[in-house]
Amino acid sequence: MATNWTERIRAFCCSPSGFLTETSPDTFLSELLRELRDDRVSYGVKVLLLSPLCEYPTLLCSSESAGEETALDLMSVFTQCPSRFSQFRCHLLVALTGVLVCSSCVNGHSRAALDFLDLLLRMARDASDPPGEGTRRLLRATACDCLREMEASCPGLLSQRLELLAGLRQLETSRLHQAFGVLQILALRNAVYQLTKQAGAGAAHLKALLGGNGSVAWEADQEAVHMDATDAAMLSSLILGPMGRVPTLHTGPDCKELRSVLSSLLEESYLLTPLCQAALFHRLTEVVAMVPGIPPAVFRAQLLRLLGTNEVCLLHVTLLMKCGFTDSLFSAEDEAFLLKRLVVLSQHPLLSSPEKLFYMDCILHFPENRPISCGDSDEAPPVLLTPQLASVLLPSVFNDSATLLSRLNLQALVFLEEGDEESRGLAYIYDHLAALLHIVDRGGSRDIVVTFFRAAFLFLFYFHHVERYATCLSEQLCHLYLQHTRLAPHILNLVNQTQERLPECKWFVGLLQGLQRVITRVPFGQLPLHDLSSHLKVLDRVAEEEEICQRSSLCFLSTIVTQTSSSLCTSGDWRLGNGLLGVCRRVLLHPNLDSMLIPLADILQHLAFHYGDTDIRDHARLYYTFLTMLSREKLSAVLVQSAAEGGGQVKKRTLSCVMAESEGLTNTLTVHQTEKPIFQLTEALPGPHQEAENLQLNQEDEYKTLECYRAQFSKSGFASLIVLKYHLTHTEPHDPRFEQLFSIQLHFSLTDDHYEELQDISVPCLFRQGPPPVVQLTLKPRRPYPTTIHASAIFTSKDGLTWHTAMPDIHVAFQQVFLPLPAPPTWSRASTRDVFECLWDEMRHETGESCISLFCCQLGEAALKALVEKHFHSFLVPDPLEEAAEFRALLFLPPKSHMLLKIGSTEDAAHFNMATDDCRLLPQMNSYLLKVTSSLENSVS
Amino acid sequence: MRLSNRRFSTVEHRAKIMAGSSYVAVPEDRILLKLLLTELGLSSPNKPYVADRDDCLYRPRSPAVELRLNGKATLWPVLAISQGPLILACLPLVDIPSEPRPPLASLLSVSQGLTFLAGLQTFVLGSGGKLDREGLDSRVAMLPPLLLQVCPLGTPLDTIPLAGTPTAPTAPTSTVTQKQPAWKTGLYRGRASVNVAVVETVRSMQYGNQSRQDTWDVYGTVTCKCEVEGVLPNVTVTLTLPPNGSPLQDILVHPCVTSLDSSILTTSSVDGADGSAFSGPYKFPFSPPLEPFRLCSYTSQVPVPPILGSYQLKAEENNLRVSVSLKLHESVKNSFEYCEAHLPFFNRNQMAVADVKVSSGQLDVSKEKNLLVWALGQKFPKSREVTLDGKITFSGSSRGPSDPLCTGLTAYIKLYLRVPDTTLSGCCVDQHSVQVYSSAKPRISTCKSRAMISKHFLCFYPYVKLKVVSLCGPQPENFSPKSTTSGIQLAQPPCPPDRW
Repeated sequence: MATNWTERIRAFCCSPSGFLTETSPDTFLSELLRELRDDRVSYGVKVLLLSPLCEYPTLLCSSESAGEETALDLMSVFTQCPSRFSQFRCHLLVALTGVLVCSSCVNGHSRAALDFLDLLLRMARDASDPPGEGTRRLLRATACDCLREMEASCPGLLSQRLELLAGLRQLETSRLHQAFGVLQILALRNAVYQLTKQAGAGAAHLKALLGGNGSVAWEADQEAVHMDATDAAMLSSLILGPMGRVPTLHTGPDCKELRSVLSSLLEESYLLTPLCQAALFHRLTEVVAMVPGIPPAVFRAQLLRLLGTNEVCLLHVTLLMKCGFTDSLFSAEDEAFLLKRLVVLSQHPLLSSPEKLFYMDCILHFPENRPISCGDSDEAPPVLLTPQLASVLLPSVFNDSATLLSRLNLQALVFLEEGDEESRGLAYIYDHLAALLHIVDRGGSRDIVVTFFRAAFLFLFYFHHVERYATCLSEQLCHLYLQHTRLAPHILNLVNQTQERLPECKWFVGLLQGLQRVITRVPFGQLPLHDLSSHLKVLDRVAEEEEICQRSSLCFLSTIVTQTSSSLCTSGDWRLGNGLLGVCRRVLLHPNLDSMLIPLADILQHLAFHYGDTDIRDHARLYYTFLTMLSREKLSAVLVQSAAEGGGQVKKRTLSCVMAESEGLTNTLTVHQTEKPIFQLTEALPGPHQEAENLQLNQEDEYKTLECYRAQFSKSGFASLIVLKYHLTHTEPHDPRFEQLFSIQLHFSLTDDHYEELQDISVPCLFRQGPPPVVQLTLKPRRPYPTTIHASAIFTSKDGLTWHTAMPDIHVAFQQVFLPLPAPPTWSRASTRDVFECLWDEMRHETGESCISLFCCQLGEAALKALVEKHFHSFLVPDPLEEAAEFRALLFLPPKSHMLLKIGSTEDAAHFNMATDDCRLLPQMNSYLLKVTSSLENSVS
Repeated sequence: MRLSNRRFSTVEHRAKIMAGSSYVAVPEDRILLKLLLTELGLSSPNKPYVADRDDCLYRPRSPAVELRLNGKATLWPVLAISQGPLILACLPLVDIPSEPRPPLASLLSVSQGLTFLAGLQTFVLGSGGKLDREGLDSRVAMLPPLLLQVCPLGTPLDTIPLAGTPTAPTAPTSTVTQKQPAWKTGLYRGRASVNVAVVETVRSMQYGNQSRQDTWDVYGTVTCKCEVEGVLPNVTVTLTLPPNGSPLQDILVHPCVTSLDSSILTTSSVDGADGSAFSGPYKFPFSPPLEPFRLCSYTSQVPVPPILGSYQLKAEENNLRVSVSLKLHESVKNSFEYCEAHLPFFNRNQMAVADVKVSSGQLDVSKEKNLLVWALGQKFPKSREVTLDGKITFSGSSRGPSDPLCTGLTAYIKLYLRVPDTTLSGCCVDQHSVQVYSSAKPRISTCKSRAMISKHFLCFYPYVKLKVVSLCGPQPENFSPKSTTSGIQLAQPPCPPDRW
């Protein structure tokens, strides 16, 4: 059993959604709770059982009431658990906190949450630790953590308990004082925050708050405390930088009590772990920022200790303090010191790389006392960061790539600020880039290649206007490309990104021209074929630019086509041929086509006659015909036509597009992915189930009826299918590209193994304006359980592109699996009735998988009748006595399960007696009945 | 590939409330892993270019990366640190408005996350930083219960213990009213002792070229192991410099240091050298934790590197003429624990014949036949200069390692050395300056040691067309308490520099 649970819990944690399709969350939860209560289960396993509740409480307890019930159950497990299993008890507390917080019980002030809080407070207070036993301290520490988490999730919860918490912390001499300290400061911070939101609150309120030792907030006075669970501001940090506004509490200078609490916390801060100290200082900073009566100088005694620390979180919290208090705590000298310190830390040999990178980020968002720009999230070096100071952070080729890029970025920003294009610093950065390029040139690894191109982009991003370097870089890139044509995708990526991100910068045109130059000047004898395909890709991109003259490209093409005809044309490589045609096709669209007519025609003609691949020959001929026969306008109309309709992205495709590998071919041959679902399947209203024909036949005896009924199942495939009808409709909001869709192929994939694989379904077309096509989904169940089916589709849009789209999941509900009794059409009502009787009789004995069950709910007779009419009409079994008080329904669930219902009412309660030959269906049936009856109850009320 | 993770539902709950409509749910494990690998550049290692992974626009803003989910949603900030086969990642809570995206520097949770991950890393990989597959698996398997102890609800507050499971807190004696520090897991009983060790590491790059400046730097660490009774005993350690010593810079201290003099912190390596700078004595009052710890670290600017090297390579017909000379500076004590020079050769075949003579020490060819190891022994000769001369023929059957930097006649020598009982900066801890104030006034025995070691001590053949500003920093060494009395045995296996 134990291993079974280990496996199941692992399966759940791997993919909770997948796991829950096979069982319902309620079932799984009740199984977990049952095991937890079971004394025979070891505590090791029980700890494991709690992990789904700790990690995914919202999945298991979807509503507040479910959460509350679960919490009550867990609490009873807690009270019954012997105290020696402290590990398990700690886990239980954690799970309880998760369940109560996440199911909104804490915010909803539920009874269970209140009980739990009481329990936690009682445990936290219970200092009667038997000597030598550390277990209870562990439990107390966990209880404190849970209290803090609840206060954090529901701010103000403990605002009336501040004195108690302060007392607990002060009395505690063991390490536990840390847990109390962190809890106290959080509660204090939240309480002060609430006061700032109360009109007219002042020193007296604050004093009362600090001396308060009432009960949990909501219990004391529902009205006095404004606790808005959705008040995100209260959960958020108050230190936002210069633009952040901190709500303030005006107390005047007299707030002795608060001052003494704060100084006691500060005094003992040294005793906390660095992580805790950071959290404590952060909260203290918030409190002091909210109460102007307390001068920020209270922190002064701690500052030196914090500034000298090697702990990243302690220095960070000091920076946040500076952010909050600026020059009221940090003088200009302090500021300069702190910045220098950050620079030192960013390259300190004993710190780890992530820490150094983080400090570098802190430099670029340094909280200045007098910021010039307003605190947006953009990176900007502080004024005090001079190029000389920053020079220790110059990048080097020995840096790892993240450090290198960060340093490069920082230097670029510093030099940009300086504004001197002739500075040595800029020269250094460029030299560095060149050094990287050398390494790439000498065969650097993939990582270095990627890093170099990122560095190059960064450099261009900041310094594209410095012509000298931009030109130089462009030349070096061309040279690099020629040595390593495999870098073509990287270079083209750089071209495209600079074009897109720096629209005013024409650097990329220069680079493309350079590339064209180096490619076309390669003596054709020295041209390896594998380079050629990269060259053609680059030339294709070059030909896209209207400003670049294509004559040399054509010369190059002509040379390789004619002079190396022995190898290239006779080899008939289809890919290379496509590359060639791709360039030609681009040139056909080039505005200077007129001047290049003859060389282009020559190339196309040569290809059409001599190329070794028929397809390429045909297409070359087609292009040649286009070129010679069509006017300019028509040519471009055939080849491009950016259709004006819609978003401008829509391009009509003609067959000729298939040829250009670079765009047309990939575009038309690629299956594009839509960002959102384009259409969906919505359930068509079910027609009436086909009624069995009502023929009076000879009455056979009962036994034989059932046998006869059962005999049908020996036929393979008998009554094993469920047909569900759906409308295929567009989703909203609609996308003009997808108004008219054709050749839709729907593909379904199952999320579990309850059903046989589904066949694909073809729908010829779908128009937005027209009536929605009906799609029949034929399911063949192995087990009649509800399921979720993933659906996707491939279709063709009006412009000829093929798309793949995900569709919203199809949820097959339990009731959709219901079928009427698959009796032979010749049967009479009486026979059906007999089958019902016989089956009921069999199931009543609960042999094998059979079982019976009872579901009750409060429903009047009329309401019950309406419910039966609505939900069970087609499954009703006629009663011999027409007007009996009892309805009988027989649900058939393919492939061979039955669910028999006898529905009756007594006084004001309705009884659903159930019998089934598959007891695993009962939980599903139960939740279905719960759903239908509760909806009726609601509508009635 | 194994994945172990922990989700914190209550933190997620708060994230949902705070982020409102911009909330992005954390995807299931499988998807998360895939996205993280792409982001770290580790996916599809065999493809030279993958658009998602290699786009030049994208700069991984380590330590916080952004996972691009389907559509426009991104998961940020995912902190990820990787070392060897281990990747550790966490997603800190963004507790300020997430639109527009706040800078990392304004999220305290980021630095807390970094501290937390670093603690986990030390826990899993141990102090040595290297583990075999099985050791790693068993350590990773210990993570879930550990997490439930140090971080039960997603807010890491306790430090992660170094050795295995956290020790249960021991009860302080009832008579003590002093509060026990949370970072101290128990109380020490027994004879008191304080061990202090100073180790300095020197790094240098020498080009032997007028146009390129040689660089060197020194950094030191002071490690302590204190066994002193009492809940919060006070210990003071004082570092002193010789009369003309250059001041200690960039001092970082352990959080257990109770107070600091501002003058100790003011000297920093980014300032210009200033004659008036504070030059000690440096007093560090602290209350020690139980385990060994690094009390402080510093850097120092010494006027000369301890060894000056020159390296000449000349290509002749079939072989390579090599000549090396190393000169030990007179201020450095001529007594090594070990001193080795490594001469690796890249982008060449294996060595066939190495006809090389050395003026002192022993020469070995590595098993892989692409590295000369020159063991210089414990002492340089009286002249304080050693030389290596000879010819090497490369005609072995198989190709040696490649390196994009060391092509042609560019090559380097790497020196590994350790000099006990000396520091380059002259910094030392005087035995009498260690003060212990304990309630019981115990007998104090202090042991000190100091040592100088080298790390990335390189002499380049002057063909390098690179500017070198600094090397990436080494991982912090770990302190081994056993060795305190006899000088620190530094785990420094000879290995090629990190990146090469």
